[in-house]
Amino acid sequence: MIFFNPDKVRQDFPILRKPIIYFDNACMSLKPIQVINKINEYYTEYTGCAGRSSHQFANRVQDEMAKSRNEVKNLINAKHDEEIVFTRNTTEGINLVANSLGLEKGDGVIISDKEHNSNLIPWLKLKKEKGIIVKVVESNEDNTFNLENFENAFSVGKIKLVSLVHTSNLDGVTNPIKDISEITHQHNALLMLDAAQSIPHKEVNIRNPDIDFLSFSGHKMLGPTGTGVLYGKIDLLKKLDQFIVGGETVIDSTYEDFKIEKVPSRFEAGLQDYANLIALGESCKYLKRVGLKNIQNHELKLNKILTESLADKVKLIGPREPEKRSGIFSFNINGKDMHHVSKILDTSANIMTRSGAHCVHSWFNKHDMKGSVRASLYFYNTEEEAQMFVEEINKIISL
Amino acid sequence: MVLCLLALPVFAILGIFSVKYRKLTKDAFECLIKTATLRKCESGLDDRIKAQLTGKILKFSPKFAKVTYNHYKLLSWLILILFAWSIYGSGVGVYNYYYYGNCNGPESTGFCIFDPTGSNSKIAEIDSVTTAVFTQPVLEDDDPIIGSADAELTIIEFGCYACPWTKKAEPIVQEVIEHYKGRVNFQFKTFKIPQHNLSYESALAAECAKEQDRYHEYHKLLFQYQEKQSRGMFLGLADRLELDKDQFKECFLTEKYKKEIDSDSLMGLHAGVPGTPTFFINEQKIVGPKPFKTFRKIIDKELK
Repeated sequence: MIFFNPDKVRQDFPILRKPIIYFDNACMSLKPIQVINKINEYYTEYTGCAGRSSHQFANRVQDEMAKSRNEVKNLINAKHDEEIVFTRNTTEGINLVANSLGLEKGDGVIISDKEHNSNLIPWLKLKKEKGIIVKVVESNEDNTFNLENFENAFSVGKIKLVSLVHTSNLDGVTNPIKDISEITHQHNALLMLDAAQSIPHKEVNIRNPDIDFLSFSGHKMLGPTGTGVLYGKIDLLKKLDQFIVGGETVIDSTYEDFKIEKVPSRFEAGLQDYANLIALGESCKYLKRVGLKNIQNHELKLNKILTESLADKVKLIGPREPEKRSGIFSFNINGKDMHHVSKILDTSANIMTRSGAHCVHSWFNKHDMKGSVRASLYFYNTEEEAQMFVEEINKIISL
Repeated sequence: MVLCLLALPVFAILGIFSVKYRKLTKDAFECLIKTATLRKCESGLDDRIKAQLTGKILKFSPKFAKVTYNHYKLLSWLILILFAWSIYGSGVGVYNYYYYGNCNGPESTGFCIFDPTGSNSKIAEIDSVTTAVFTQPVLEDDDPIIGSADAELTIIEFGCYACPWTKKAEPIVQEVIEHYKGRVNFQFKTFKIPQHNLSYESALAAECAKEQDRYHEYHKLLFQYQEKQSRGMFLGLADRLELDKDQFKECFLTEKYKKEIDSDSLMGLHAGVPGTPTFFINEQKIVGPKPFKTFRKIIDKELK
């Protein structure tokens, strides 16, 4: 087991020299110096295009991009580098599948009632435009996944795809992917996961349980903004239609026709964000060095502090047990506006949280709520910070 | 809504220099319009200000933060009233400065931010306490008239020949006379300023020159050579105007017009003159060497 010392890792994050407590990691993670340096490296040492030219800079970019793709592949235990498609973010990955899978009228897609807009709107759009069926699986009362409801959802229409959030950004609940994968494949459907909140916080192995598509963002996993990944099994990727086309997506073209590139290039249209995509590989390396198991355990330890001190005083969203909510503590205080609470935390103690509907408007609308305050933890947060958060929340409760 | 109203002008001014405040100005404006049209303010600006304010106070005092959070609306109204009052005060100040040369009005010699050196309002002050009930000064035949004798309006000036601020007002007096082309004149009454050396003596010398019908020239020379004033200089100026030297000397040494000078000063005290120069345009008072437009504003009203 890799030794983990939160105080030591904090030294890798230049921004943590500021007197802040950063609890908005579900939205954006901070960046270690290694990732920042890697971005700079591209601009200071080998600024060029990959593939298009053959000079030394171009070759270096090509190599670095390949290394980065390989790092991502290793992080999720994919079989082939070609199964890694670089995108701008999770949303783009999901949209790619939604628009390329060839769904037609009457085809069904199963989602849960806790999906981020990025895994809801693409399906609703297809429902409007093509007449696909979107089946929403209702969660248990404590917001955990209801497998019975899930299984029943297959009785409606011809289910082609199950597209679910892996770990919810709303309450931190991780869905039982092993069971979900088995049920999905028993019904000959494909499984896609929105892994934006799981990849940065826990070990994800796409071969066990068996996952067909997986989409996640770089910016939540120490990587640069504007980077993301769509994993797809190689055979499935080959069958997908192209989504955005143009430069880099074709081998040849005439005025009448074109010959499409191999996977994954056919899905990576236009000039790529080389500097940031190369640095994304560096963030994967960093996560592995810290150890995703360590990260998961540390977040749980911090969430226990928040839960034990505050669960009886606030209205918690999701199950009470911190073990079920990973690093997320989403709550409301009776009589206090969520935005007020978040702003007061920021102003009085430099504690940064997020308030609002967290892009899960559908869930809040269903529960007749406007939103919540969300404290989302990461491995560079400390127990002292958690205690300070508790103190400040107690002060706000007494206002 | 209340703080949006306050924030609007502040952000609008800051928005000239920073894009960040243009967005906030838009929010404040939208909030104001929606509230005025009985719709819900959706910008959340008021809420953001409330939370930010509470957070800042919470750092130092949870007790005051609680008061702020729970009575935010009331506090906002109080601040709004203070703000409106201060805007009104500033407006009046600007108006007064524009027309009277002092933020506090024509009668004031107090500090004015627009005239920090106080050049429009400086006077030679007296130490004595004036009576609580003031009596309007009156024109007297024995005091000299500067300007056309048959003018419609006579301004009474209480001045001192040894006072630099009375001297500073002299060109303004001339400007008034020239501007109104015979419709306005001044009656100069001497007002003794004890702390000014030769205040009384210079007034006496002017009276002695008047006896020989050379008042106006002597009046001008007294101000022209104000810094060099001495008993000998008064005789020298008389010489220069070719006055009867013996008559002037006797008049001066016997203090022939002491009673007249004392009477003028007393009239000034009863009229509430705080120092020199002080002008009376009928019932309106101007204190200090205020700019021409201050005189014009009052004179135009009186001449109507």
